[in-house]
Amino acid sequence: MNEQRRILLAKTGLDGHWRGPSVVAKALRDGGFEVIMIGMTTVDEIVQAALDEDVDLVGLSIGGHVEVAERAVLALREAGIERPVFAGGVVPPWARKRLEAQGVEVYPPGSQLPDIVAAARRLTGLSAAQ
Amino acid sequence: MRQFDQQRWLRKKWETLSEIPLRAHYGPEDIPAEHLARLASPPGQAPFLRGAYPEGFRSKPWRIFQLSGFGKPEDENERIKFLLAHGETGFLMEHDRNTADHLFNVDHPEVQARSADVGLTGAVMQSVRDIAICLDGIPIESTYGHAGGAVVQHAPFALAGYWTVAKRRGLDLTRLAGTGQSDYFLTYLGCVTKQQVPTRAGLRLNVDIMEFCNRHLPKWVPISIAGYNGADTGLNAYQELGSVFANAVEYLDEVQRRGSMEMEAAAKAVGGMNFRCCMDIFEEASKLRAARAMWHQLLTQRYGIRNEKVMNLRIHVVTAGSSMAYQQPLNNIARGTLMGLAAVLGGAQSLGVSGYDEALSVPSEHAHQMSVRIQQILQNETNVCGVVDPLGGSYYVEALTADLIGKGWEFFEEIQQRGGFLECLDNGWLHAKAHQNQNADMDAQASGERTIVGVTDFVEDDAPFEVDGFMGVDDSYQVAIERLEELRRTRDAQAAGIALKQVHAACKGSDNVMPAMMAALEADVSLGEIGDVFREVFGDWDTPITA
Repeated sequence: MNEQRRILLAKTGLDGHWRGPSVVAKALRDGGFEVIMIGMTTVDEIVQAALDEDVDLVGLSIGGHVEVAERAVLALREAGIERPVFAGGVVPPWARKRLEAQGVEVYPPGSQLPDIVAAARRLTGLSAAQ
Repeated sequence: MRQFDQQRWLRKKWETLSEIPLRAHYGPEDIPAEHLARLASPPGQAPFLRGAYPEGFRSKPWRIFQLSGFGKPEDENERIKFLLAHGETGFLMEHDRNTADHLFNVDHPEVQARSADVGLTGAVMQSVRDIAICLDGIPIESTYGHAGGAVVQHAPFALAGYWTVAKRRGLDLTRLAGTGQSDYFLTYLGCVTKQQVPTRAGLRLNVDIMEFCNRHLPKWVPISIAGYNGADTGLNAYQELGSVFANAVEYLDEVQRRGSMEMEAAAKAVGGMNFRCCMDIFEEASKLRAARAMWHQLLTQRYGIRNEKVMNLRIHVVTAGSSMAYQQPLNNIARGTLMGLAAVLGGAQSLGVSGYDEALSVPSEHAHQMSVRIQQILQNETNVCGVVDPLGGSYYVEALTADLIGKGWEFFEEIQQRGGFLECLDNGWLHAKAHQNQNADMDAQASGERTIVGVTDFVEDDAPFEVDGFMGVDDSYQVAIERLEELRRTRDAQAAGIALKQVHAACKGSDNVMPAMMAALEADVSLGEIGDVFREVFGDWDTPITA
């Protein structure tokens, strides 16, 4: 399978800091992925975009409470989208545990971009090396 | 996992974080002649390279000034009182980002869709009643306050609310000291909200605030340009300098165009600025010294101002949030101390030290207290307050300061040639500059060129001292909904309606919006109603980025 993998990147909150998702998006694009950035979106909008864009992986940038991200994951599953989800942003350890319990991989501040790109490859069924 | 590596160390490229190459040592030949002239004036005298005041911290220690806020207005009130009790010497009100930045009431569908986020990073303040709760028992006549309103479109509401509370307490506004922010770097560069008035409309609001303060609140710092927000988005030290002054000329040119206030007063009003200090201690201290000299140069050369008393730039510093690590968070206590020291060596007038849990959450009570204690230790135990501009005359620091001034003006000129600061926000040029540096920083970390202890190197799988991140409170949204309902039920609906119409008329016309805003707050007009007026009259900024 050589087709390009597609990743949806969404911000779950109304906090507009964009530094995190923008460096992640660039690294993923440089890593060969197609990245669809939809910015600050509600849970319903994230689900709709994941359906419309038929993505292979969903990335959530979390600048707010973990509960909103948890709801997004649940809503994706309820809509029949079984694609993996990974997340980044200000996710304190207690919130990280909650997301990981839902099967979400969490990349907090300080995560290195090559590790994030490698995770995206693994989560979309590509071999680890580029 | 990377550890210390002798070969890597010996291959290290020595340069500042702005990529200014460094030599192993500096001498007198490295200080340019025109810089020696700046250096010849003592602190407190033009061009203020060496300090804003002749006696420096001896006459007045820097203000301990911490960002604070979360939850309900009473939670924020409690935290502010806690900080003041532990020695904070000014206080800073954070408003809930979801509602305040967007001028939404809490029952707006965008907010309701994320109700759990409400109150996470600031208290919800939808009317003057909420602001009064947040300020309850705080002596604002004697304590320097920051009313919030960091985002441009929010500032008129936040300021009018604070001043209305002061008026109700019978205070004389002409004697009230404090500040807001209304910052372009946050609003249009670093934290681009989902909805925002366009940059031109924002300029009008900011100059209205300046004029209003000039007339009614002469001790208030009406706006504070916050290079911090540009720098923490990615701009390097000299880009921060250049863009801060490119921002300042937008305000000053507009005042000149209107002709409604003296340029000296305008210079004073814009001359309280906010910079970031990150981990490159000498570059950051040099940057603050450079900023003072550049401000003086700008005011004299571009505006012909001669009165020295209005030209000493006063500087607030916040230590870089982005330098605070998620991993091994107690290491951040050392980082906060060092970045704070850079601010002090550069001669800042006030300082906020980021919490050691900055990368995890808003500060816990303990992290907040620690930020105050770090500053008290610097002030009281280190003797750094005894001598003004202790780095002055260092071959290295003077060469670096001169270099930053030169590169800062180059960046300023580039912005001017590209149509000015507002244009460079509208078309995304500044965002692209910041993004370039963001990527370069991440690449340097990944390649081993840049070491962040506990993050890129010296990593531990199990941190021995776990910090879990502050959890806040969970009833902010519900209480805000109840208070909004109560406001609508109990206010004089007719008076609120009339006041809101007057805000609408002022926005549509060319009158200063602040008198109508004051009347609106007095009449219990809510945040979201002001937002609806702004959205209708000013429209929405077409953001150049999607992230």
